Amino acid sequence: MTKITIADLKKIKDKVHSQTQMREGSFKGKVTIHMGTCGIAAGARAVMDSLMEAIAQADAPEVVVTTSGCAGLCSQEPMVTVEIAGQEPVIYSKMDPNKMRQVFKRHILEGEVQTSFALARG
Amino acid sequence: MKVFRSHLLLCGGTGCHASGSLPVKAALIDEINKRGLAEEVKVVETGCNGFCAQGPILVAYPEGVVYMSLKPEDMPELVEEYLIKGRVLTRLLYKEPLSKETIPSMSEIPFFARQELRVLRNRGLIDPEVIDEAIARDGYAGMAKALTEMTPDQIIKEVLDSGLRGRGGAGFPTGLKWKFCAQSPGNVKYVLCNADEGDPGAFMDRSVLEADPHSLLEGMVIAAKAIGSNQGYIYCRAEYPLAIHRVNIAIAQAKEYGLIGKDILGTGFDFDVEIYQGAGAFVCGEETALMTSIEGKRGTPRPRPPFPAISGLWQKPSILNNVETFANIGQIILKGAAWYSSIGTEKSKGTKVFALTGDVNNIGLVEVPMGTPLGEIVYEIGGGIPNGKKFKAAQLGGPSGGCIPAQYLNTPIDFERVTELGAIMGSGGLIVLDDDKCAVDVARFFMDFVQEESCGKCPPCRVGTKRLLEMLNDICSGKGKEGDIEKLIALGNSIKDTALCGLGQTAPNPVLSTIRYFRDEYEAHIRQKRCPAGVCADLVRAPCQNACPAGVDVPGFVSLVGEKRYDEAIMLHRERNPLADICGRICFHPCESKCRRSTLDLPLAIKQVKRFMASQEKEALIPEIRKNEVNAEKKIAIIGAGPAGLSCAYFLARLGYKPTIFEAESKAGGMLVQTIPSYRLPRSVVDKEVAMLQKMGVQIKYGARLGKDYSLQGLRDQGYSAVFLATGNPYGSKLGIPGENLTGVTDAISYLREYNLTGKSMPGERVTVLGGGNAAIDAARTALRLGAKEVSILYRRTRAEMPAWEEEVHEAEIEGVKLNFLVAPLAAISANGRVSALKCAKMALGDYDRSGRRRPIPQKDQDFEVKTDLVISAIGQYIDKNEILGDLNVELSSNGYVKSDPLTGRTSVEWLFAGGDVATGPSSVVEAVAAGEKAAVSIDSFLTGADNAFWRTEKPLDTFFDPDADPTSDVRAPLQSLSLGERMGNFNEVEKVLETSAAICEAKRCLRCDFRAES
Repeated sequence: MTKITIADLKKIKDKVHSQTQMREGSFKGKVTIHMGTCGIAAGARAVMDSLMEAIAQADAPEVVVTTSGCAGLCSQEPMVTVEIAGQEPVIYSKMDPNKMRQVFKRHILEGEVQTSFALARG
Repeated sequence: MKVFRSHLLLCGGTGCHASGSLPVKAALIDEINKRGLAEEVKVVETGCNGFCAQGPILVAYPEGVVYMSLKPEDMPELVEEYLIKGRVLTRLLYKEPLSKETIPSMSEIPFFARQELRVLRNRGLIDPEVIDEAIARDGYAGMAKALTEMTPDQIIKEVLDSGLRGRGGAGFPTGLKWKFCAQSPGNVKYVLCNADEGDPGAFMDRSVLEADPHSLLEGMVIAAKAIGSNQGYIYCRAEYPLAIHRVNIAIAQAKEYGLIGKDILGTGFDFDVEIYQGAGAFVCGEETALMTSIEGKRGTPRPRPPFPAISGLWQKPSILNNVETFANIGQIILKGAAWYSSIGTEKSKGTKVFALTGDVNNIGLVEVPMGTPLGEIVYEIGGGIPNGKKFKAAQLGGPSGGCIPAQYLNTPIDFERVTELGAIMGSGGLIVLDDDKCAVDVARFFMDFVQEESCGKCPPCRVGTKRLLEMLNDICSGKGKEGDIEKLIALGNSIKDTALCGLGQTAPNPVLSTIRYFRDEYEAHIRQKRCPAGVCADLVRAPCQNACPAGVDVPGFVSLVGEKRYDEAIMLHRERNPLADICGRICFHPCESKCRRSTLDLPLAIKQVKRFMASQEKEALIPEIRKNEVNAEKKIAIIGAGPAGLSCAYFLARLGYKPTIFEAESKAGGMLVQTIPSYRLPRSVVDKEVAMLQKMGVQIKYGARLGKDYSLQGLRDQGYSAVFLATGNPYGSKLGIPGENLTGVTDAISYLREYNLTGKSMPGERVTVLGGGNAAIDAARTALRLGAKEVSILYRRTRAEMPAWEEEVHEAEIEGVKLNFLVAPLAAISANGRVSALKCAKMALGDYDRSGRRRPIPQKDQDFEVKTDLVISAIGQYIDKNEILGDLNVELSSNGYVKSDPLTGRTSVEWLFAGGDVATGPSSVVEAVAAGEKAAVSIDSFLTGADNAFWRTEKPLDTFFDPDADPTSDVRAPLQSLSLGERMGNFNEVEKVLETSAAICEAKRCLRCDFRAES
């Protein structure tokens, strides 16, 4: 580390804050991967890995990832719920790593719901 | 930094490590690695999270779920459920102690929700060993502002305007201290931080050091800029290794970033800081002693002036502030003085951190705005007192502080109010004491500490505290003398005035403040050689016996029952309390609430054992009577055949007197037969024990009422040499609302007395009882048995405040009595001259009253009507002093009862003694029995000039006890009672007596606290 300036102080603050802001309960987007036994069996793990990778690549730590149990619609697994702050959540079904990357890029970052994989709103 | 989907923040202060957070962390990381989650889940060790009672605590983000009381073996399940399957693991969530609800998120747990975090704003949120995490939460932003945008004068003005006062104890305005030092001439000045926290029970500074060390460093740099200093020291006790470790890391990281050292942030300002480790002497928390210690000398104080601002460390101008004070500074500069002073009271601004500990459910670290009422801290945040005990006092300020008792629960806690009450804010140690704590013992504990820590430089402290301690030790061991209290006060005050430093000047506070609020306890220790709380070992044979107002030898009779020696057991009981069978039915058993078996499982069922014992006796056995022909000739009158009168007559008879009891009604027993329903106390039980008295030579005259048929003076004129007044509280208080004279409105005492004495009663189908005491429950259950279709009790507070015994309330509910809380009557409404409804107001609980309970306050516009045809008020009882005293001039107490010495029953008239409810107000049977015994002893000593109370000598006990054996593992015998069907429409006794085997088993559960090894 080297000595820093006031501008650096601000930079560190902004960078680390975006990585730790989930601890304050605020986030831009939230993706819930359904990880019941059915979800895991249908490949939810790989979906989550691809999402984590995508987030890291896009340097978008303001998107948080959580998991949840079975949603009761096991035939549609792996399912993923995407919530963008201020909008209705969207549930995607029969996801795979490719679809996940697409949803991340197009829906979460660019705001366009990927209706072709969407199961429902809410 | 890498992106993680989840951050798991595990608390890791010294307290957390002690409760096992390190093995939990290891197990968690191990499990995460095993499950291949290391790349997506981050584990962060934070400082203390505050809720130490529930530690170790893990907060899981992004959901913000809080898991508590974790163990390493919980980790696989937690990882599986929470991280892999995404389910909240309910088993490890916080459970609200009262409602038993589980609460998953921090913001909804009352302990956290009611706090205002400023000093502790980063607790549990950042890794204290990573400077970037502190910076992310505005760390060093205030410092940057102070160094680049502000002059020293502006900094000082901002701090002055904020109203910040020193958080180390005395509350001196921080800005003023800085101003004096800034104005002091000299190029070399020092910024010192007092991290020598040494009060028993205080750990807020340690927590800041461990959880957020950068906030301290930032405050110190700003202070340095303000006064023109380039060197600082943090004086921290060596007993805080984790704090020192983390502060050292913080200093190293800050230096690397250039936030400390040369040319800070390129502004040209230099400031260096290092830790000086103290050896843990309490006196080194005093500022001059602390500086002497840093200079490398023995830490002793020196006189002030000169003050440190003029001549401090190495005779250079210095400022000394404590950790919490410095931790406020960064935010004051960043957010401004107005922001800071927006909360708090007029003279105390901002927040205060308290280390909440002692007898309180939620032990931990809390930060609240100045001016928060004590009651809110103890009950709302602290979750109240464990095990249903009562709040006695809060000890604030450690060994330099004092106690704040229950009547001041409303006190807004700030510097001024706390000082007025005789405590000090100190550094914020807040020890909650329940009613099992002895005030004298508490004072002795702190005095022992101060005496040990006195540096010995000045005689007032060195010799004075030693002498105070010796006197307290004497009082606690029963060697206290009359006049000791005055000596303690005089010596305490002169130590306050003459000691050299703050330690000595405040050392007498715990003694003076406990005398101020609990003088009666000191007096009990000195005069009666009794420790009311049952703590002081030399004065307490067994806590149960100590708690019994009549002093019954509980371990004695219980262990005799255990050996089936029933006659001996009951005779031993009757040594101190003649009404063994009656008390076996209805005593409210204060003995059980002090029983030490409760620390193992549940208290011994002493009352049930007593009932079993008394039921073995068909005809009451006659105790030892010492015949005395002189005494037998003396005429003694006892007025009232209630428990106090019966007890007095019994003990007088044992001394050979032949007293006469005058009873206004046609039956002996007073409230026992007039108001206590026979389903609780069968009349044959009373008859048995009254017959015993008559066999002992006591005469009872029925049907003569004091004030109507005879007078006190008249008795005296007839040659009675002493009179014991025990007329009780015979009248039920009126409601004082419109319509209270309507037909169908009565009071519980009249209602119960009419039924119990005549068998007739006021009719009612929809009965409304007003009140929350035992009389209310008795009236309600009686009305139900007399055929009422619906019986409701309306009480203006909540169930928690009801004075009625919980067992009785529970039985009433089982029988179908409806309980309505937070309701108060406004008016009785009539139809055809008879009550038809009751207009009521809804209440809500407000602030705390002098009894330490929350006061009910009527709610506007929420009045409603309750349909009813019989209203029974049970809101209190009173005496008619004209009726009982007549023309005799007898002093009354401040609450209108007959004033009598609680130890002797003596009144202001030489030959008149008084005891029981007439002297104390409504109380219990066993209290009345005790008062009767005391009056008997004192009447005898009035007549003979000697103390002849032979029954007070402790009886040797020869029951078998093996102190090396483990206690029996039997559980407390459950109370057996009649089924609902067996109770209705009759007055059969509800509670059943124990079977012989169960009673013996129960008796053997006794831990025999009375046992002393032969020496």
